[in-house]
Amino acid sequence: MSAEAEAPSGDIALPFVMRFGAARPMIGAAAVTLFLLVWQIVGANEIIRSDLISYPSEVARTLIAMSASGELGSNLWVSLQEFLQGFLPAIAFGIAAGTAFALVPRLHYLCEPLIVVLNTAPIIAFVPIVVVWFGVGTQSKAIMVFLAAVIPILINTMTGIRQVHESWVRACRAFGASRAQVIAKAILPGALPPVMVGVRLAVGRAIVGLIAAEMYVSVRGIGRLIQVYSSSERAAEIFVLVAVVATFGFALVTLLRRLEGLIAPWSLEP
Amino acid sequence: MGALSLEHLSLSYARRGDAFLALADVNLSIADGELVTIVGPSGCGKSTLLMLIAALLKPTSGAVRLDGRLVTAPGSDRALVFQDFALLPWRTVLANVALGLELKGVPANARVEIARRHIAMVGLSAFERAYPHQLSGGMRQRVGIARALAVEPQVLLMDEPFGALDAQIRQVMGAELLRIWERGRKTILFVTHDIDEAIYLADRTIVMSASPGRVIADIKVPLKRPRPLDIRNDPAFTAYRQRIWDLLEREVLASNSWGTAAGAVA
Repeated sequence: MSAEAEAPSGDIALPFVMRFGAARPMIGAAAVTLFLLVWQIVGANEIIRSDLISYPSEVARTLIAMSASGELGSNLWVSLQEFLQGFLPAIAFGIAAGTAFALVPRLHYLCEPLIVVLNTAPIIAFVPIVVVWFGVGTQSKAIMVFLAAVIPILINTMTGIRQVHESWVRACRAFGASRAQVIAKAILPGALPPVMVGVRLAVGRAIVGLIAAEMYVSVRGIGRLIQVYSSSERAAEIFVLVAVVATFGFALVTLLRRLEGLIAPWSLEP
Repeated sequence: MGALSLEHLSLSYARRGDAFLALADVNLSIADGELVTIVGPSGCGKSTLLMLIAALLKPTSGAVRLDGRLVTAPGSDRALVFQDFALLPWRTVLANVALGLELKGVPANARVEIARRHIAMVGLSAFERAYPHQLSGGMRQRVGIARALAVEPQVLLMDEPFGALDAQIRQVMGAELLRIWERGRKTILFVTHDIDEAIYLADRTIVMSASPGRVIADIKVPLKRPRPLDIRNDPAFTAYRQRIWDLLEREVLASNSWGTAAGAVA
């Protein structure tokens, strides 16, 4: 305890870690470049049939063509709307329900079986029934995103609140804080970092839910395009779409990490 | 004003089905502006005593009075300084010091002004915008002290505040506390298990028994102030140390034996 308390943490870094810390992006970039190079050589020279595996320059060409025709943009817009219509309510509901469950244990016992089912069952298995209930349009996709995203947010909020340090609550109570003040000043801000982690975890699951639902049945959207191009065996288009989805997820997670650094800088410290 | 009186204060609670007596009939009266330290073996209930005064715990029987008024709920007339600092890591030094004022409903402008004044008092003006994780342990506890003083309490309750700091920093912080106290002469009740610290700071030292905690001695320490750090080598000082140790030795042995209820868990 005393050793930890005395160390002005933040500038203690092992030289070993420092060296690799600086080189890490370079190593990653080198690996990606090598992979693309091999893929290009193998595909463009028909060492493996290029209609099955395509190759980077063809994928790039296809990306430009799909963007220029508006096919990519319009479908991405549809998917993005579906994503946000499910994800934003999932954040709001997940945090509210997680908070309620943490503060009122009986409520938690009541809903626990349902949470466990949603958490462990493969989310894709819910697609058919959600489509039956909510139709083939935007709504069913938003519901799938919601179901996929809400669970990690809810669970992380709940555990985050339970793990709030007793000392933060004690400090507020000692100054005469009411229960509402303790929740507002100590519990909610203290639980913020695990909540943010939950939101980040939810991004990946939500994308899986969205694409699965679009592939199952829909008129527009990135998942729909993947479905269409896979039935006509168009490898380059599928790669473009997968890359777009991956980029979207990566960008969102990066953004959330930045946001976390801004609003809870203390949580990123060891 | 800040005269504190503890009247027949007892606390017992159920532990593994048995009634466990933590404090037994503690009577104390502390004058306004007095700096009183409490020493005792670990588990003797000295921290519990502070929690009762802060009203974070309710006594089984007896009463706490501040300037004659019965204390029933936590409030900013008594401010606590904790061993684990209990700072909010998402708040800057300034916002941490302002916490008590915020909970009291002091308007934002006044809050900042008052907090700044107290941050200056503990010498941390340059770190106003730093976060606790960027500070050393000693600096964190200065924040804890500034936060407590900012609400202008009548009594400062300090629960082994330097217990988590290393020995050198501890002595420096003690001297620092005396310097602050000399200026405002606020009533301070300071709990410690360090005999030297108890003597160095005190107008009066209360010695407590092993569990259940009782007052076994109330010793006036009229060493002249200001006290230099090397007063610890002064014959008068060492005599106090010997006297308190003689009182405590039996209690420490009792609290450390497996046979007693206190020793088994606490």
